[in-house]
Amino acid sequence: MSFMHKGSFAMPKDNDSPFLLDRHKRGLQNLDRMARYPKNAPVDLLIVGAGAGGLVLAQRLARAGWKVCVLEKGPFWDPDRDWVSDEKGSSHLYWTDKRIIGGDDPVEMGKNNSGQGVGGSMTHFAGYVPRFHPSDFEVRTRDGVGADWPISYWDLKPYFERVELELPVAGQDWPWGDPHSYPHAPHPVAGAANRAWKGAREYGIEMRVGPVAITNGVFGNRPHCIYRGFCLEGCKVNAKASPLITHLPDGIEHGVEVRADSMAVRIEVDAAGDRVAGVTYMHDGREEFQPADAVAVCGYAIESPRLLLNSTSARWPNGLANDNDLVGRYVMVQGATQVAARFPLELRMYKAPPPEISSEDFYETDESRGFARGFSIQTISPMPIEWAAHVLADGHWGAALREYMRDYNHWSVLGVLCELLPAPDNRVTLADERDQYGMPIARFDYTQGANDKANIAYAKKILQEIWEGAGAQDQLTIDRYAHLVGGCRMGFTAEDSVVDASHRTWGVENLYVVDGSVLPTQGAANPALVIMALADRCAELLKAKRSARASRSARGARRRAGAARWIARTHAGLSRGRGR
Amino acid sequence: MQDPSRLPNLRPKGDNADPEDLPRHRNGITPQMHGRFPDYNVLDETDHWDEVTREVVLDRVENTPGIRFFTAEEAATLKAYCDTITHQHREPRIPVLSFVDEKLLKGQGDGYQYADMPDDGTAWRLVAQGLEYSAQREWRASSFAGAPISTREDIVAVFADGKLQGGPWEQLNVSRVFKLTTKHICQAFYSHPWAWNEIGFGGPAYPRGYAAFGSDHLGDREQWEPIQATP
Ligand SMILES: Cc1cc2nc3c(=O)[nH]c(=O)nc-3n(C[C@H](O)[C@H](O)[C@H](O)COP(=O)(O)OP(=O)(O)OC[C@H]3O[C@@H](n4cnc5c(N)ncnc54)[C@H](O)[C@@H]3O)c2cc1C
Ligand code: SF4
Repeated sequence: MSFMHKGSFAMPKDNDSPFLLDRHKRGLQNLDRMARYPKNAPVDLLIVGAGAGGLVLAQRLARAGWKVCVLEKGPFWDPDRDWVSDEKGSSHLYWTDKRIIGGDDPVEMGKNNSGQGVGGSMTHFAGYVPRFHPSDFEVRTRDGVGADWPISYWDLKPYFERVELELPVAGQDWPWGDPHSYPHAPHPVAGAANRAWKGAREYGIEMRVGPVAITNGVFGNRPHCIYRGFCLEGCKVNAKASPLITHLPDGIEHGVEVRADSMAVRIEVDAAGDRVAGVTYMHDGREEFQPADAVAVCGYAIESPRLLLNSTSARWPNGLANDNDLVGRYVMVQGATQVAARFPLELRMYKAPPPEISSEDFYETDESRGFARGFSIQTISPMPIEWAAHVLADGHWGAALREYMRDYNHWSVLGVLCELLPAPDNRVTLADERDQYGMPIARFDYTQGANDKANIAYAKKILQEIWEGAGAQDQLTIDRYAHLVGGCRMGFTAEDSVVDASHRTWGVENLYVVDGSVLPTQGAANPALVIMALADRCAELLKAKRSARASRSARGARRRAGAARWIARTHAGLSRGRGR
Repeated sequence: MQDPSRLPNLRPKGDNADPEDLPRHRNGITPQMHGRFPDYNVLDETDHWDEVTREVVLDRVENTPGIRFFTAEEAATLKAYCDTITHQHREPRIPVLSFVDEKLLKGQGDGYQYADMPDDGTAWRLVAQGLEYSAQREWRASSFAGAPISTREDIVAVFADGKLQGGPWEQLNVSRVFKLTTKHICQAFYSHPWAWNEIGFGGPAYPRGYAAFGSDHLGDREQWEPIQATP
């Protein structure tokens, strides 16, 4: 195929991660060289959350000579030791601490949308990494709904390309959005997905293989995919990308420290309240404090707002950077209905990565459909427990449940990702209940709008028609959601957003949010790639800002050290007070 | 079962499949010893699994946790409920409730709680009370567990429609608690290798992986994977 010649051997220039891994051991090999920063002196940047956004940001800035420390609530994974090739045995990968869900159309959390541990949600993401379309950045202008981004597709394009090379992404030449190609050739397509592809083709829909963040060739010391199908359970092979293996090894080599099992509970501000001084976190049941020159919150769409809302002070009575009651608002999910279809031959959909082929034919607005924006179509192959959820959702239990389950090997599943629009009341707030760290747990309310319902209904109908055309003998449907973004959205002014185009929070000079929560809209694409690209761009901006500042400011350094001492003293006082 | 008109969505409503049609399982165990792959025992493959996975999965088969979260009374009702949901009316049974009990005892939530629902453990206890309440009040049975299978199925059918009412049900969102409990039940049932034998799932696949996933030459079945019987 045409892209083979581009060479599966192109390697990123400024990220040695794939070479720092071991061919036969999956865990990181350079942990003994990891920096350990003292807790009584500020680091240059303190990051909360070792996920897609946090670890890309860390690696980039460490390369530029910054002292970067990352706090991560979950464990430091060693895939050999900690991960299993088993669905139920993988629940420790998910963020399963309780969240309260409400609204008219509540979104179930956990397994389906939130990860924990070093690597974040991508350790168990499916692996689809499509780019956003240029139209995604100007939804308000084009369609009169949602919001515009303060940056364009073209601002992010170089970062999409760089991250695609680092993951690396395998797929066919991409005809949708801004047409582009991928560094690795497309993977072979398994029987179940092939059936879906045939159906789509007959229906007149174009599908392409990929794009997936799964190696399809030599890539440093990362092995080739073995098509075992357990991508959502954490890849024990190191074939599927997560920042644990794509960015952290290089980050560690350049001075990133990750403190695992460390839950940030409060961001502390200095006396005036316009700068942050560091972060209070819980480790081993103890409260610790790490001072920092700047803080980047990278905890994803529920936890980033929660941490800001919990960081109250005299200057910020409603939560940090929350003068305009925008923190936690405009959280979005995608409508991710799936329709399964039955065929006479065995398909055994548990083999090969669940993400295989996709179509963006319906991505853009088409007025004749009667709603704004659109959806994409992707194959996704559930393992038995997820398949049971599918069968239950279609209304079967008892003998019928067992029967559809026994029929597992005959089914193929297509899903959609519908762009649902941002709404202010789809929001994260703090509940009364507290978690094991003494922090109020998050409450997430979600209600669909009319446009959202129309989009989901239309997309579902298309899936059902595709399968009918393909001669499916029976169909099972499950309505569900996928992905999370928003909550600290990026915008033009303090009145419309939480962060500006450089990810800096309005009103707090040295506080940034760099993760999925900054997305103003979510497109119909999976979000991991755009989150990594945003983090990469943010790092460039921070580097430029710092070199501009480097000439100034022995004065600034003294002021910061003073602030850190102040907060360290206050903090010590606080924890003593609480201890009594 | 090449005749799909027998699948539950397609046949007349209420017309139950007859699992007795299925071949008897000959190698290893399936729940109630029937299945589509009579000679397949996924536990024959354990040598091909990585050590960590092997330990986790075999523990599930070899060490059934005791009932510690539920009282004996609750357990009797809920065991009958689990059997009804999973259509397990004779041995060998996958001990579903034991796994649910263990999950609740350890407080292993799934990451969310609906605003109009109590916590998972309380919800399960209320279901036990609710099933007894409905069985005794509405169906005039001595108890839910003591009722004939058909009565239990009638009660569960109303439960599945979200329409059980009165007593403990008033403290619950009935549709949601049906979803919650059936989800937990299926997590337990379909994580068990006996269920994998029944449905012909390949099980753990590291480090071996797969090669036969649809190519013209290799087809869809590895040599070690089961052949499906057509009853
Ligand atoms: C099952 C599943 C399938 C998915 N499939 C896809 C897919 O195919 N394609 C795609 O693009 N995306 C997919 N996603 C989504 C994708 O993984 C996320 O959008 C992305 O990882 C989010 O990046 P992030 O940096 O915002 O947050 P994350 O990657 O989630 O990282 C946040 C990290 O912060 C930590 N944290 C949070 N709060 C605190 C705190 N207070 N203190 C310390 N640490 C904290 C968390 O433990 C976590 O590790 C999937 C997600 C899931 C769960
Ligand atoms: S299918 Fe490939 S990418 Fe997915 S978990 Fe297995 S080896 Fe990893």
